[in-house]
Amino acid sequence: MTGRVLNIQRMSTEDGPGIRTTVFLKGCPLRCTWCHNPESMSAAAQVVVREERCIKCGSCLEVCPLECDTSVCKACGLCVDDCPTAARELLGCDWEVGNLVREVAKDRAYFKTSGGGVTISGGEPSMQAGFTGAFLARCRDEGLHTALDTCGACGPDVLTSLAGMTRLVLFDLKLFDTTRHREYTGQGNERILENLATLAAWMDGQQAPPSLWVRTPLVPGATADDTNIRDIGRFLADSVGTRLEKWELCAFNNLCREQYRRLGRTWEFATEPLMRREDLLHLQETAAASGVDPTIIRVTGASRLEE
Amino acid sequence: MATTGTVRPKVPIKQPHSLSPRVKWLRDYFFEGVRRPWNNEFQCFTTGTAWDVVYDEVTYYIVPETYAFLQPFRASALQAARPVPLPADFWGLTLPERRAWFIREVMVSQVPQEILPGDLVAGGRFNILASRCWKRDEVKGRDKELLGSRGTRAAVKEFHDRGFGNAGATSGHLIPDYASVLTKGWRGIHQELQARLDGMERRDRDGPKGAQVRAMMTAATMPRDLATRYAEVCRQAAGRESDQARQQELHQMAANLDRVPWEPANTFWEAIQAVWLSHMLVLSDENYPGAGVSFGRMDQYLLPFWQRSIAEGMPREFGKEVLRCFWVHCNTVYDAMIQVGGNQGITAGFGQLITLSGIGADGCDATNDLTWAFLEVVDEMTPILEPKPNVRLHRGSPEALLDKVVDMVAGSQGAPFLLNFDERSMAGMMREADRAGVQDRINAGNVWDYASVGCLENTMVGNDRSGTVDVNLNLLKAVELALTGGWDLVPAVDPVMGATYPRRQVGADTGDATRFETFEAFFGAYETQTRQMIRQAVELYERSESVRARFCPTPYVSCLVRGCADKALDVTQGGAELSFVTIEGVTFATTVDSLLAVKHLVFDEQRCTMGELTQALRDNWVGHQKLQAFAQHRSPKYGRDDDAADAMALRVMELWAEETWHHRTRSTGRQFRPGMLSWNYWAGDGFVMAASPDGRPKGKFLSNAICPTDGADTKGPTANTNSVGKALGGKAPGGNGDWGEWLNLLPNGASHTITFNPSMLRDPEHQAKFKAFLRGYVENGGTALQMNVLDPDVLREAQSHPADYRHLLVRVTGYNAYFTSIGRELQDEIIARESHRGV
Repeated sequence: MTGRVLNIQRMSTEDGPGIRTTVFLKGCPLRCTWCHNPESMSAAAQVVVREERCIKCGSCLEVCPLECDTSVCKACGLCVDDCPTAARELLGCDWEVGNLVREVAKDRAYFKTSGGGVTISGGEPSMQAGFTGAFLARCRDEGLHTALDTCGACGPDVLTSLAGMTRLVLFDLKLFDTTRHREYTGQGNERILENLATLAAWMDGQQAPPSLWVRTPLVPGATADDTNIRDIGRFLADSVGTRLEKWELCAFNNLCREQYRRLGRTWEFATEPLMRREDLLHLQETAAASGVDPTIIRVTGASRLEE
Repeated sequence: MATTGTVRPKVPIKQPHSLSPRVKWLRDYFFEGVRRPWNNEFQCFTTGTAWDVVYDEVTYYIVPETYAFLQPFRASALQAARPVPLPADFWGLTLPERRAWFIREVMVSQVPQEILPGDLVAGGRFNILASRCWKRDEVKGRDKELLGSRGTRAAVKEFHDRGFGNAGATSGHLIPDYASVLTKGWRGIHQELQARLDGMERRDRDGPKGAQVRAMMTAATMPRDLATRYAEVCRQAAGRESDQARQQELHQMAANLDRVPWEPANTFWEAIQAVWLSHMLVLSDENYPGAGVSFGRMDQYLLPFWQRSIAEGMPREFGKEVLRCFWVHCNTVYDAMIQVGGNQGITAGFGQLITLSGIGADGCDATNDLTWAFLEVVDEMTPILEPKPNVRLHRGSPEALLDKVVDMVAGSQGAPFLLNFDERSMAGMMREADRAGVQDRINAGNVWDYASVGCLENTMVGNDRSGTVDVNLNLLKAVELALTGGWDLVPAVDPVMGATYPRRQVGADTGDATRFETFEAFFGAYETQTRQMIRQAVELYERSESVRARFCPTPYVSCLVRGCADKALDVTQGGAELSFVTIEGVTFATTVDSLLAVKHLVFDEQRCTMGELTQALRDNWVGHQKLQAFAQHRSPKYGRDDDAADAMALRVMELWAEETWHHRTRSTGRQFRPGMLSWNYWAGDGFVMAASPDGRPKGKFLSNAICPTDGADTKGPTANTNSVGKALGGKAPGGNGDWGEWLNLLPNGASHTITFNPSMLRDPEHQAKFKAFLRGYVENGGTALQMNVLDPDVLREAQSHPADYRHLLVRVTGYNAYFTSIGRELQDEIIARESHRGV
């Protein structure tokens, strides 16, 4: 069985406990306007060009059956193979489960010393549910700690079946208001909220349920406001309760703007600066007053340099 | 709350802290450099003969930058030399006896003794260039070996200019037996020498053995006589002193000097005094200011003195104050050439290494209160170059130690210490014992007591001279010679005269590479070239080793290296119980990547023929941009945890490491052993060596020690580390390695540098993850790790405003250097190296 992988990030320190290797899969049902991993949205393989590397040698033109017409590109990868500078890059490689497990197990020593492991992320891993399940199961057999990073936009059975094969679920909850959720992600959030509640209820019936962390991106002008954080917090307190082990508020950064440029897309957040430290602290206080145990709330990421 | 990171953090540059007015004054005074009225610049002394030599060029054969100056140095040092009155029978003595007498005379009666204000440790000036005490026929004999078109100097120069590397018998780079000075005093050492002499057959006593022991006995009285002088200076200073507290200190220093280092030390203060005087005289004896003369496990052998003094009421803070004074003294080595070059002759660390923590006798961790005191002093004094601490980590290292280590790394730019990793290091030492047949000297019962010299070179302590920087070989040359069948790819040029060397076969005749039908055939040629190149290096080294053995005894150093007295043989003649010469493999990753590129481009992918590749290299890739890009960007590279590429790395390592064990020096019987330390050769020789198949043009740096080539380690620090561990042999599948499950092909150790972005250490959670990374390094990594914690923006700012960043230290290859003093190319290279933020 193979899965379509965008990227494998070693020594990741932001996707769960300890030192981790994060596997980013291709394909996501949401279209979050702030997405920091835009290359993962499309499930299809894509060819992108790092123009700063291109030496205009023309190898790609010679080999392309479609004369490099990007509107009809099938991402066959011929130009990527023949690009001497690796300026042309194929996003989305198919990995066989066993090979991928062998690859991620290379950092087992660091997982062991740090309490880390493997995180499968995306995109949205449930879009390749069969592969994700097989991968999680194989990692478990190998004794590797696993985390499933999901946006929750999938069928409830898929979610609980994958949750049953992992030690940790990282569940993204971005916006509480469904209208705004639709505005910013392309979908309402009813199913997502329902899935989170279902997951919590399902965990109650499990002998050894996975841990559950909820993650909320703090995006200025979109998610980073008192109302949203307070509403999410209330929902978590009511519907997830003590099953929630950690609530991470992840501060926005614009480091992925190059990826948008490479995809030929404009990005409304490209020049958005880091948040101010006092605003982050304020949102943390809002979250702490929402009903969620304040000791499990954590703000991650960088704040603006105060002049 | 974790919100301290920023897009452009301006890292505050590490500053010293918590210093007393005394130490602050001494430290500031040191950094005044040439403006100081007092300094420790070389002083030159001659016997007064017309043919005298006071500058020994052989020691600098491993420093290619000096080749053009060897003759001027020789002439000017002699011109500057003051004659020393000689006793009537001087020329009737043997060479080692003459030299021992002369050095003692210079240090005790010619060089002034002074105490700096507030200083708690005596022992000021020690940098000397003293007459080699040769007779006319000795100078003639030695010059015949070294000079002229067939001499060693020319051979060394040609070896370098053709891109092979360098070789020369070099001083320093050992850990003297200071522990014996503390426990039996120089009196004890002197008595043992007397007994050795008395026990000699008459024939031996009248021959070279007797002469050697008599010379060592003369040398053994030098610390006593010098201490007497310093005691007098202290008493005089006390007489002039109005401050009562200082007066008391000076009286106590005099009392200390009345005892040590002649008698065994009682107190911690005496112990530091004894070690410092004994140490500085090593530098005097070798006329070599400190490179790699290291202190060993100071937190272990000084512990009994520390504990006793604390028990007897010494305030812990005062013990640290003595250490801080010792710190300042170590830095005065740099005064040797204080008026040469920028930054007052201070460019990079000389490497007087202190080893801290690590596994103890019982297999448990040996961290103690003195370890902590040392680390505190390191933190308070940093940034400063000497002495250079090396903290030993292992599976059982306590959390608190790792916390301190990570805390100190997070607060500095170039980490204030190196980290050495015990299990992998000990595996190398055990392999060395096995390969050299010295299991009686290195075994499971004592290997834990190893320590590092210079940068990170692992040796045993007090009985080991492993010549850790004596031969530096560019492994890459063998790839070039395999491509050409044994000829230089591009004409070799003498940069001093501008002349081109005659074209000749410089390697083995491995035939026409264009006819190789498989990569294995090419690798066979590479293997032949590697073996021959190592034999050539060994032969070249022999020429300076034999000259040193004949003409350059160091009887004082020999007193501090076990084995020399027993064998009545100078340390320069192979007297040490453990006597190795280390071949440091340089350009490792460039070599591995070049072999991978030949395989990938010519055989696997057939992007070009061997002929086309060779032509591209002759043309320095000019006009072959596309092929160069394939080599740079599409060929596999070592350093990415790619098993196939790393298998090539291991193959290269096994081949060259194995060949080193087949050789010994003829004149002194020293066994060659492998290591990887590249000092600055990887930078300089990049301008000497032809373009390489990995896509590197001539004029670009080579790879550094065991590190991947710059920019190749795209998979981050864990992948980088795993590749390094695999290249050293990894772990034995059955768990039966050289030590535990660890294997290590390089007993000397291997320099590994990783630069981290400060964001990796930005809060306690990330620091905990970094700590876990270090514990993972114990399992999977190499023998030694040095870290830079640098933001490239800060470095660029330092380039633009060097005056504001004079004290910004960065790790280069086992040593710290001031960023603003290292030259634009190396600066750019370090900025380029800053990575691990994802690609």
